[in-house]
Amino acid sequence: MNSSDGACKRAALAYLGFHGTPTAEMCAMVDDALREARSVARFRAVGEVFDVPPPAFLCEPYASFLAGCSACALVAMTLGVEIDRRIRALSVCDPARAVVLDACASALVEAEGDAWEARFGAERTYRFCPGYGGSDVKDNLAIFAALRPERIGMQLLDSGLMVPQKSMAGIVGIGKRKERRCGDCMLKATCTYIKEGTRCFRSENN
Amino acid sequence: MLPLGKQLIVFDGGFGSELALRGLEGLPEELNITHPEEVRAIHRAYAAAGADVITANSFGLNRIKYKGKYAIADLARAAVENARAAGKEVFFDVGPTGALLKPFGTLSFEEAYEAYAEIARLTSDMVGGYIVETFSDLYELKACVLALKEHSDKPVYATATFDGTARTLTGSSPEIVAQLLEGLGVDALGVNCSLGPKEMAPVVDRLLAATSLPVIVQPNRGLPTLKEGKTYYDLSEEDFTAAMRAFVEKGVAVVGGCCGTTPAFIRRLAAWKGQKVPARRVEQVTAVCSSTRRTVIENVVVCGERLNPTGKKALKAALAAGDYAYLAAQALRQQDAGADLLDLNVGIPMIDEPAVMKNAVLAVQEYSELPLQIDSSDPAAIEAGVRAYNGIPLINSVNGEEDVLCRILPIAKKYGAVVLGLTMDKNGVPRTAEARAAIAARIIARAADFGIPRHRVMIDTLVLTASAEQPLVKETVKALTLVRGMGVKTALGVSNVSFGLPARPRLNQTFLTMAMEHGLNMPILDPLDEAMTGTVKAYAVLAGTDVGAQQYIAAYRDAAPAAKEAPPQEEDLYGCVRRGLKREARAAAERELAQREPLAVVNEVLVKALGEVGEGYEQGKLFLPQLIASAEAAKEAFAVVGEHLPKRAADKGTVVLATVHGDVHDIGKNIVKVVAESHEFKVADLGKDVPKEAVVEAVLRLRPLAVGLSALMTTTVKSMEETVRALRAAGCEAKIFVGGAVLNAEIARSIGADHYTANAPEFVKTLETLL
Repeated sequence: MNSSDGACKRAALAYLGFHGTPTAEMCAMVDDALREARSVARFRAVGEVFDVPPPAFLCEPYASFLAGCSACALVAMTLGVEIDRRIRALSVCDPARAVVLDACASALVEAEGDAWEARFGAERTYRFCPGYGGSDVKDNLAIFAALRPERIGMQLLDSGLMVPQKSMAGIVGIGKRKERRCGDCMLKATCTYIKEGTRCFRSENN
Repeated sequence: MLPLGKQLIVFDGGFGSELALRGLEGLPEELNITHPEEVRAIHRAYAAAGADVITANSFGLNRIKYKGKYAIADLARAAVENARAAGKEVFFDVGPTGALLKPFGTLSFEEAYEAYAEIARLTSDMVGGYIVETFSDLYELKACVLALKEHSDKPVYATATFDGTARTLTGSSPEIVAQLLEGLGVDALGVNCSLGPKEMAPVVDRLLAATSLPVIVQPNRGLPTLKEGKTYYDLSEEDFTAAMRAFVEKGVAVVGGCCGTTPAFIRRLAAWKGQKVPARRVEQVTAVCSSTRRTVIENVVVCGERLNPTGKKALKAALAAGDYAYLAAQALRQQDAGADLLDLNVGIPMIDEPAVMKNAVLAVQEYSELPLQIDSSDPAAIEAGVRAYNGIPLINSVNGEEDVLCRILPIAKKYGAVVLGLTMDKNGVPRTAEARAAIAARIIARAADFGIPRHRVMIDTLVLTASAEQPLVKETVKALTLVRGMGVKTALGVSNVSFGLPARPRLNQTFLTMAMEHGLNMPILDPLDEAMTGTVKAYAVLAGTDVGAQQYIAAYRDAAPAAKEAPPQEEDLYGCVRRGLKREARAAAERELAQREPLAVVNEVLVKALGEVGEGYEQGKLFLPQLIASAEAAKEAFAVVGEHLPKRAADKGTVVLATVHGDVHDIGKNIVKVVAESHEFKVADLGKDVPKEAVVEAVLRLRPLAVGLSALMTTTVKSMEETVRALRAAGCEAKIFVGGAVLNAEIARSIGADHYTANAPEFVKTLETLL
């Protein structure tokens, strides 16, 4: 796996609700769970580049997101079912650790996905996933139709949910850089970080 | 009839890539009706290239995957007719549903089974056989092969797809796939898709070593390369053929191609047609497996005995109440303690044993990866468990009685299970080792009559108590040696030997050592009993099977002499709860009880400590894992204190919790459960993806104080709303709480809920106001 531990750890701590400087005890807990996440996860991804975005992505908010890009890539990625199973087992015998591992796995799939997308060149946007910024989570259907991520063990349920749980599907603009913004997030209305003037992520370039 | 296993058989190659070449788009299955001539042209091209078998264009044709406008029956008939036009043997192509099975997805084993049963019913009369291919989930593969075998007598060839680490997408090894397929009675098995022939070589080698059945290999045309964002296969015909040649020389019996291969590739393979398939020597081992873990019964392996209700009050109660989470937790404890497989027995009076066995198998395999031993005296319960099992289990048990053999052995045969035989019959347990060995021989012979080879039989020579039958202890042990001499592995329920005598652990350990030295392979014991598992580990060193004592050293490296250990600082109960020290909480509660009244322990220590933790969490000083750990510690303490309290005057009441239908995120709901339980609410956890009918049923039955519904996604809030409406319509009097990432008080109101709570402490605080 290619992603850095530092980025994963920061993100995992943020998902767990740690604000400010974590204690040594918390750090040890996350380090340990991150180690386990890396050993259990089997990151797999598929992607395809399109000169013209597929029809579902010609409308807003995708059009604005992709403005200025020369092409785009649809991507889908997952950590596989093994980590779901492990989190589930821990939820029975050690729920506290289950929560930490769950956060680490979420951080890991993001970080691995970012690292994997380097193949689309340095001039690219972050991964915009259906559900962000007013887009419809049902647009995942179009990504599944184009990429058939079933072959890497992903499935889109009728509810719009993806399984395994640590899975993502999205669109990456190629030809310009664009960082994550809180304004695009589906949780912006209720986010406690925004209220505090901070954010949950740390973009790759700062 | 194809000369399967005798002469090399050649299948056709890639179909999707050929369709693309002809500019045909859309669902390949529908092209059978919309463009039959083009489909036939591809089949004819493969036939002309020399393929012995033509695969119908039906890969995605099952009712779960195909949602188009045509009837499945019509598409199936058209697919077969098109394939027949090539004038060769036609196999129906059966692919995965594309849906993940429970517990990771939402498709049930039975739904997958039904989809394939439908295919078999529609096509069995039309085709020469089935090629089941590109499966990546062992459980779905089992559903498919079972359905085909139960609805058709045509040959079934089956292949799975593996990644570069030689595992399927759901984590099964080539050995596990081979054992499952061979056990289910397919005609040939192998590997296809995902990899090119070069990358596939390690998988092919392992399949050839693991099965005596004919092996199929259908690779892609190398690994795809991405050019300008598009996928290309560009391995040359020469390189493909060279790699395939090596497989054929090693004993592969059926070859063909998958994605990217063309008639030109098949023409090269067809040049070897009719060649004799080289004989292979396959070492037969006794093994059981789950979907991700295989336990080979050799030297000494430990079978955990804790999932057997005999003499276990808590397990009996859990089974009677349908509390399968308790079983899962027991399974995980044994797994963590190092067990190699787990006995599962659900036999208590007054239950529907087959139904409970099935649910227990589903619950345990969801959480634990250890292979199972399905233990029952009821053949229907055995079959229910074995059928639902995602793997190859051990069946416990048969004995020398003919009617028992006749009822159980067909189940073992059908599902490929290993069967444990007890050396007793209608006359009871024979007194001599020789007479027990004679029963063992009879069981082995009868198994063979039913088509179960010797390596799928194990024998238990039966332990009698030393207190009642002292001279017979040596007979049990001697019988082990006799049975091992017949080439089968052995098992014993070790701790029975000491029944009725004092200091039982000493007797158990000594007997275990005697038995292992005489050929015991599988003691059935409590893996949490460190003295017993330690004896197994020590024996492995002394018997030379733990080479270099590596495992022993790894287990005991840190074991310090007890006297030198500094006495640990003892935390008081308040501190245990505040710091989330689950393990220390019980002892701390006992100490606290020595000093105060039980009720004072609850009110002055536990409630206060939990209050401090909850406040700290809401103020952002403490975080989620700490909150949960504290709740866990408090639960442990409550269990101890509760025993000293008079029957609680006021039960705080029941809470029904569920993640709504369509949503499988349950971590938030699980946190609420732990925290609510730590505040002494009784929680009925319905799980995730729960249909509204099930919520209504539970609420009407349990008459709870409150119902808590969880949803994580905007899309499943709708399902939450429907559940709320159904509850209201059914006259639910309980307060309805909702929670989850995308909810807030406003949404909660709009969907008709009574309360929205943002987190677990708030949930509990609001609950308390209802009392």
